[in-house]
Amino acid sequence: MIRVKDLKRYYGSGATTVRALNGVSFEIRKGEFVAIMGASGSGKTTLLRILALLDDATGGEYTIRGLKVSRLPEAERSYYRLTQVGYVFQDYALINEMTAAENVYILSMMEGKSKKESYRTALEALDKVGLKDKHDRVPDELSGGEKQRVAIARAIAKKPDIMFADEPCANLDTINSEQVLEVFKDLNDNYGQTIVMVTHEPWHVKYVDRVITFKDGVVVGDEWVEEQ
Amino acid sequence: MIDDIRVGALIAASSIKRGNKKTLIFIVFVLSLIFMNLVFLPSMIGGMTVLFTGFMQDYPYGDIVIEPTGDNTYINNADNVLQKVRAVEGVRAATKRLDVGASVEHKQKVVGVTVTGVLPTEEYEISRYPYIIKEGDFLGELSRDEIIIGSIISGTSTSFGEIYDDLGEARVGSLVDVTYSNGVKRTYKVKGIMEATFELVDLNAMVHYKEIEEVYGLDVGEATSVVVRIDEAGTEEQMKVKIREAGVNEQVFTWADKSEALIRQAMQSLGAIDVMSKFVGLIVGAALILIIIYINILNRKKEIGILKAIGITPGSIVLSYAFLSMFYVSLGIFAGMVLYLSLMIYFQANPVIFYETMKIRPQIDPMLLIQSIVTMLTLSVIAGTLPAWSVSKESILKAIWGR
Ligand SMILES: Nc1ncnc2c1ncn2[C@@H]1O[C@H](COP(=O)(O)OP(=O)(O)O)[C@@H](O)[C@H]1O
Ligand SMILES: [Mg+2]
Repeated sequence: MIRVKDLKRYYGSGATTVRALNGVSFEIRKGEFVAIMGASGSGKTTLLRILALLDDATGGEYTIRGLKVSRLPEAERSYYRLTQVGYVFQDYALINEMTAAENVYILSMMEGKSKKESYRTALEALDKVGLKDKHDRVPDELSGGEKQRVAIARAIAKKPDIMFADEPCANLDTINSEQVLEVFKDLNDNYGQTIVMVTHEPWHVKYVDRVITFKDGVVVGDEWVEEQ
Repeated sequence: MIDDIRVGALIAASSIKRGNKKTLIFIVFVLSLIFMNLVFLPSMIGGMTVLFTGFMQDYPYGDIVIEPTGDNTYINNADNVLQKVRAVEGVRAATKRLDVGASVEHKQKVVGVTVTGVLPTEEYEISRYPYIIKEGDFLGELSRDEIIIGSIISGTSTSFGEIYDDLGEARVGSLVDVTYSNGVKRTYKVKGIMEATFELVDLNAMVHYKEIEEVYGLDVGEATSVVVRIDEAGTEEQMKVKIREAGVNEQVFTWADKSEALIRQAMQSLGAIDVMSKFVGLIVGAALILIIIYINILNRKKEIGILKAIGITPGSIVLSYAFLSMFYVSLGIFAGMVLYLSLMIYFQANPVIFYETMKIRPQIDPMLLIQSIVTMLTLSVIAGTLPAWSVSKESILKAIWGR
């Protein structure tokens, strides 16, 4: 599904250069639920942003389904972001002035679907994250966990090839975190959604299939998690 | 493109529906003031112009004025002209006048004036002279040794008193000596003092037409002007043509023709103020609209980044801000219009008083309103799109996370 080869991302230049990613290679196949772990500052966010086409690599290669996306023009990247890639932000990144449903269906509308169809798709996605009955609430009227689930609904409504989540539970308490992780697990188990999630909570590991561990911009571990 | 418009509209609509109402009210308030600033002063100046042109009609020129051709001082056959003019359909009244230069003396004080010879009974139908006698009475048919003087020369003007020389003590009943431009000297008794709070009137004097004829030894029917009033305001141009067609070969002017030159002089400074105020108003307005909308957009930079990150096209984002600013500006124009019209209604009832008696009622000029509305809408689109466009060009990371 996605393949990363010798990926590099440097910030700054000269003596102060930060090598956030210093030659990273791995492959993720369809249907995998992968956790990216590692200490703070090890380059997890940097990696995820590049994978989600929000940032450019300094070097190396990145392909989605065989297509080299590392050097696409912005208009195509925008289209990819819209249609192939879902991204869940740590701080939800919802539009505060839109209801849950609007936050989700704006993307379907962007894809050119009718308002009715967009709305139906949005409700379907909200149903998958267990929030169908709160579709007309604005973010301020939702709990942190609910907001994150709306963000997930937004990411999955377009049925993306792959979904990325950068510490989606960082701002949530255990109960809300569990709800969110259950949603991920459900999407992965029942819909075959490929998910790459950054986390540093060891207890999250039980939800995922595979853990890739980072340290100082390089991969130091890549293991499958035993089914318990 | 259609999708961009739909999505842009959705973003704009939700931001209007659920956005901060206080910010909205503030923005609309400021925009309404910008609109007021564009239209108010020009309306006041328009009011002054109307007042001024009203004077032109009420005193020196009537609706239409006929003057001698070429270098001639007099219309030679004014009675003939009058006969023709009065026969034209749509003419309400006409009279002839004789304007000459003279100096007036009273108790060693002398002032230069224009003395107008009038046919007193006819003036009631033509001008407001007979109605602005603030002391004494207007001339009668037999007033041969009597004179009307303007309030400024009499020294009783409350508005212009300090600016001009005056006769000091000349009141109704006083005797004044008039020396005409040909050297002939006559003594008159002041019959009335006229005041229009308009220099062209209040600096002048008025005697019977026959007096001037006699002093200058003119043939019957000589006049310096024939002043015409018409039935229907606004038909001056057509009436001018009709009068020419009736066989009048002298020069025919409408009051507007005549005042234009005069207004151009008298109002030149005012006109410059008008143009400048419009120009400054526009610049300030444009800058304010830009600043307001730019700040609004900066506040929502992160949102723009998020929208881009999830795949919303920059086109939709830019459009949403164009819609938003158009909405703000439309509301601003609407509020400004309500404010403006209430002020207009107020000033119609309570005109601004100049020189104690000149009542200025601001004029509503539909062209100016349309111009201002179009200008503001255009500006709003530019002000809305430019900053949004520049922000939407920024990298997503920078927009969302600031680096
Ligand atoms: N925009 C940036 N400019 C400079 N340095 C950055 C920038 N973003 C991240 N870094 C640095 O890159 C390294 C990796 O950061 P990040 O990917 O955010 O780590 P993680 O998400 O694993 O905590 C850190 O040392 C961080 O300080
Ligand atoms: Mg991080």
